[in-house]
Amino acid sequence: MIATAGPNVRHRRPHAWAIVAEQELRDLWLGGRGLLLGLAFSVLLSIIAYLTATNQALNFLEQRESVNLTLQVAIAVGSLLALLAAADAVSGERERSTLESVLLTPVSRLELTGGKMLAALSLWLAAFAITIPYVWFLGRGVQLVGHALLTGIVVGTLLALFLASLGMIVSVFSNSNRVSLTLSLFLLLAIFAPTQLPSSAQKGWAGEFLLRVNPLTAGEHYVGKILVSGHTWNEDVSWLISPVVAAAVFSVVAAIVGARYIRLGRGGGE
Amino acid sequence: MSVKRAIAAGLAISSIALANASAAAAGDVSVTVDRSHITTKLGQKIVFRTTIANHASSPTGPLIAHLNVLSFRNGVEVDPEDWSTHRTRYLGTIPARGARTITWNVHAINTGRIALYVAVLPQAGVNQPPTTGRTVQLVVAGRKTLNSGGILPLALGVPALLGLLAGGMRVTRRRR
Repeated sequence: MIATAGPNVRHRRPHAWAIVAEQELRDLWLGGRGLLLGLAFSVLLSIIAYLTATNQALNFLEQRESVNLTLQVAIAVGSLLALLAAADAVSGERERSTLESVLLTPVSRLELTGGKMLAALSLWLAAFAITIPYVWFLGRGVQLVGHALLTGIVVGTLLALFLASLGMIVSVFSNSNRVSLTLSLFLLLAIFAPTQLPSSAQKGWAGEFLLRVNPLTAGEHYVGKILVSGHTWNEDVSWLISPVVAAAVFSVVAAIVGARYIRLGRGGGE
Repeated sequence: MSVKRAIAAGLAISSIALANASAAAAGDVSVTVDRSHITTKLGQKIVFRTTIANHASSPTGPLIAHLNVLSFRNGVEVDPEDWSTHRTRYLGTIPARGARTITWNVHAINTGRIALYVAVLPQAGVNQPPTTGRTVQLVVAGRKTLNSGGILPLALGVPALLGLLAGGMRVTRRRR
């Protein structure tokens, strides 16, 4: 990409993953799909923020709780967007019959996976950028905006990395987008299920273990402890273990799976 | 005729005696609360307990305990239904020298100084004053809730901006 003039001209070829990422980002954002998802996300946040601020019952929430509610929704839905984009990454190409031409390019499959993962994660970053004005509005006056944004970007990025990797793994092994998206959403629902348990079921060692071991519930619990309970970052840092482990393990597995198992058809046949 | 009169007189005497006995039993009932002062914040839930004791040597008739909520400040409307959804408890009878403890869950709905007290009265509907316990003085501090001013421009503005951006992109793509 960078060319320098002179006798010793050196052409530095950019990393292939960067080229893949650039192409994917163009497709996602200039193609309009990313903006439409961002628009839908902003409408959802607007509804939540409006209800929180004006609805009598919801406005009964303390300001900290309102920020927490909005941020947790933003993290959950933003991660979901990353999952959806990743779940489409390989199975989508396969379904549109464009995977063959992609595989013929001089790009290793690991770099292909990396580039596609980055593009999927850009949806989370865009979702977070959209969240900033809402968090600012809801959190102003209680010195919470900085903490909320910092906690949100850390926890949200870990969860987005975990879910995008999960989506990528599913996508590699799925022949069609329908299978990939259905399976990814099913897994996401299974991961979200413990958040719907009654509070009595979340008590005791078994309940706490379930919350801690699930990266989503653990991450959201951590956000709540910092924003609502006013805990310091270190106080509940053990709740971040499962999001960190899940993000690390699943991104490594996604890289390995992408590097070894991306094929034209599910059963091979390149 | 004389037999009927005798029966009627007997019934009247026995009902007076029963009423007296029940009044005596109600007089032997006491209501105590485990807390006299509670400080909380608006929207928080508080819990307190009352113990209804029968000091008599005979069991009481069926009793009802009722929680009352009012504000010490003139002009503050308190709707007790909002404060507690389960304010009337049917206790049944309390054995001789026995007691029953009831837990009250209360949701602090208004700020200010609030009085909570429990009145116990016989279920039989005997016309006598209820037995009440000491007043629980509740101080509810305000909480910082959201000011809704300015949310509408934000709630409409962000999606509108993204919609314009998406629309602009689409138009640009079509022109190309």
